[in-house]
Amino acid sequence: MDESLLDGVRVLEIGGGFAAAFAARWLSGFGADVVRADPPLESLTADEQVYLLAGKRRVRVEQTRLRALALAADIVVEDQRPGELAGWGMSPLALRAEKRTLVVVSVTPFGQSGPYATYEANNIIAFAMGGLMSLTGHPAREPLMTGGSQAYCLGAINAFGAAVTALYGGIVQGEGDWIDISLQEAAAGMLELYGPGGAYNGLGPHLRSGNHVRAAWAIYPCADGFAGVCALERQIPALFAAIGDPELQDPRFRDPLQRPLHDDELQAKLYAWFGDHTKDEILAMSPKFKVPFGAVLTPGDLLENPSLAERGYFDEVLLPDGQVAIVPGRPFLGFPWTPPSVLHEAGADNTRVGADWLGVQS
Amino acid sequence: MKRLPLEGVRVLDLTMMWAGPYATRLLAEMGAEILKIESPSAWDNIRTVIPLDGITEPWNASWYFNDYNRDKKSVTLDLAQARGRELFLGLVAQSDVVIENYRSAVMDNLGIGYETLRAAREDIIMVSMAGFGKFGAERDHVGFGPIIEQMSGLASLTGYGDDGVPYKTGVSYGDPVAGKAAAAAVAMGLIKRQKTGRGVHVDLGQRETMSTLIGEAFVAASLRGEQVAQHGNRDSRFAPQGVYRCIGIEQWLAISVRTDDEWRALASVIDADSIARLSLHERLERHDELDALVAAWAAGQDPQDAMETLQWAGVAAGRVLDSESIHDDPHLAARGYWVELPHPRMHAWKQPTTTWRFFEANPQLSRHAPLFGEHTREVLSSLLGVSASELDALQAQAVIGDAPLNPGIG
Repeated sequence: MDESLLDGVRVLEIGGGFAAAFAARWLSGFGADVVRADPPLESLTADEQVYLLAGKRRVRVEQTRLRALALAADIVVEDQRPGELAGWGMSPLALRAEKRTLVVVSVTPFGQSGPYATYEANNIIAFAMGGLMSLTGHPAREPLMTGGSQAYCLGAINAFGAAVTALYGGIVQGEGDWIDISLQEAAAGMLELYGPGGAYNGLGPHLRSGNHVRAAWAIYPCADGFAGVCALERQIPALFAAIGDPELQDPRFRDPLQRPLHDDELQAKLYAWFGDHTKDEILAMSPKFKVPFGAVLTPGDLLENPSLAERGYFDEVLLPDGQVAIVPGRPFLGFPWTPPSVLHEAGADNTRVGADWLGVQS
Repeated sequence: MKRLPLEGVRVLDLTMMWAGPYATRLLAEMGAEILKIESPSAWDNIRTVIPLDGITEPWNASWYFNDYNRDKKSVTLDLAQARGRELFLGLVAQSDVVIENYRSAVMDNLGIGYETLRAAREDIIMVSMAGFGKFGAERDHVGFGPIIEQMSGLASLTGYGDDGVPYKTGVSYGDPVAGKAAAAAVAMGLIKRQKTGRGVHVDLGQRETMSTLIGEAFVAASLRGEQVAQHGNRDSRFAPQGVYRCIGIEQWLAISVRTDDEWRALASVIDADSIARLSLHERLERHDELDALVAAWAAGQDPQDAMETLQWAGVAAGRVLDSESIHDDPHLAARGYWVELPHPRMHAWKQPTTTWRFFEANPQLSRHAPLFGEHTREVLSSLLGVSASELDALQAQAVIGDAPLNPGIG
């Protein structure tokens, strides 16, 4: 058995927000010794705490000790308001000046500089300001926030990637860095064709198209829920073969230049076809016809999914009251993953962490 | 001058569309050399998904293709031909990373699976990013980003809540999420090689990466058997919370009231002092009524002014920036987020800089996406010593090329 990739890497998580906690969760799973400095007032929900904090050691310390822990760490992940750490006498620049290999990742709604740097924000505000919300939801209704806490999640996966990239740079070059991740920028750089299209053409904004970008790129009600299809031009013949309606061979559907003019008619056919089929029937056609079909599955469905079970995807977390929660595990396979098996209580590890990281016996 | 973290790393990029190219764009931003490999007969269709009107060589003049492929080099090689495969394996021997986002069986079918790559270079780092992974009952399922989003559980959590309809995010959300994670996997592979001298084959199932973004919903499902519920734009911790229409065409403002103090501040701004003392519980109970009051106020406001007014009062508020207004946002402008780079076939436009703002290494965009096959001859001659006469022969056999053999709508 290989030792974990990040074995011996110390990570200090300062903040208590979702984004920093999620980024540090992956670092923990891949073997880092993650210590979370718990905030005075917990902002995560109970379920978020189970998912994001399990496997981490947790301390509650005053500023002098926090600074010492930061300097004992290899990576600091923090989501305080810009300037907050400096106010505590531990600005990332000062920490980096004392320890050149240190990597500091700051993940905040709008980044460290600029007129909105200290604006008040949470997930929905960052999701709105990053552009994704304008594209999501029904065209006749208000813009819609995607489920969960996606602005925070985007910040987290960027913070994780930047942290391990900087860690690698530090191993090779002997120097860490301070990385400024803005939730707004994380989203603003992934607006698909609408971002660069809006910038290039200057023809006004593209607005939300709900579940129907076009007939063959959509979600439909099916016999037992909702299912979808996303067919590019090269997959249209296979899609029509799967549906089996001979009328679809007509040029008004087959010709890519004519099809957009008959999108409503095609959509009506797809409504009817999806309505006649179950999710399982539709999913079975994906590998058979090599057509990107999908079904709207719930977390409950996925807990029963044989493919995920076969791939050993889920982790178990033991809670202080003895219950066991099942949570998503490693984001990808290839490196040893340590399931975050136990949820520690807030501040429970002050003594042990002081001894391990600082050699302090107290 | 501090160096970028991935300087000196060479990546062979077989990915197409969004997820994979987004990963390698990030690696390029971090200093890696990206050789984007396409076959003259099987090339990245994103080049022509949105063809510009009346342009020759549309595959070389796509702002959409450019967005995912800037700062890379383009090398053509037909991997279905023996000589193409041989040259590819020659490049593998001189590279650090191979990344691909084909369906699970394609690399093996092409005769360039992980073991073959390892035979060419023992410590190669290979990242595969099939939708549902390299093994498992669903390995042959086909998926683009919106399919991944549906299959991950996320779409089931998105919706207005009053009609039972799940929604997709307005972009192919699974792609950039998988792309970011794949870039991180490359860095981890490099760390492993540095520590142990060995390579790795990463199996990134895009659906699995996506499901990690809703872990708390799995806690609810597994601990309490909770069925999914859609909440629109609301959150039981914050009230009122929502988006409110302002002056202008489809201009909206998001507001989230997180504390009693914020509510008092908002109530004062919207002239509702008589209910400024409502508790969170009361605000949740009367959410529809409060929404109507906020909406009535917002309807007479310019969205930018309204955001600034509320922020000045200490209330979390932000515009629902759209694909036009986001390019005019003063904050992003102040941070130098939008960069205009010259392109030989198109006028300049505002492109996003890197999301990973390393203060000291200071990554910057440097070049437009390559033209089709632009670097084929340079790369094959300099790295593999292929002669000019052989390059001509390879072009005649369509192993390499400077234009797609089968251009059309992607």
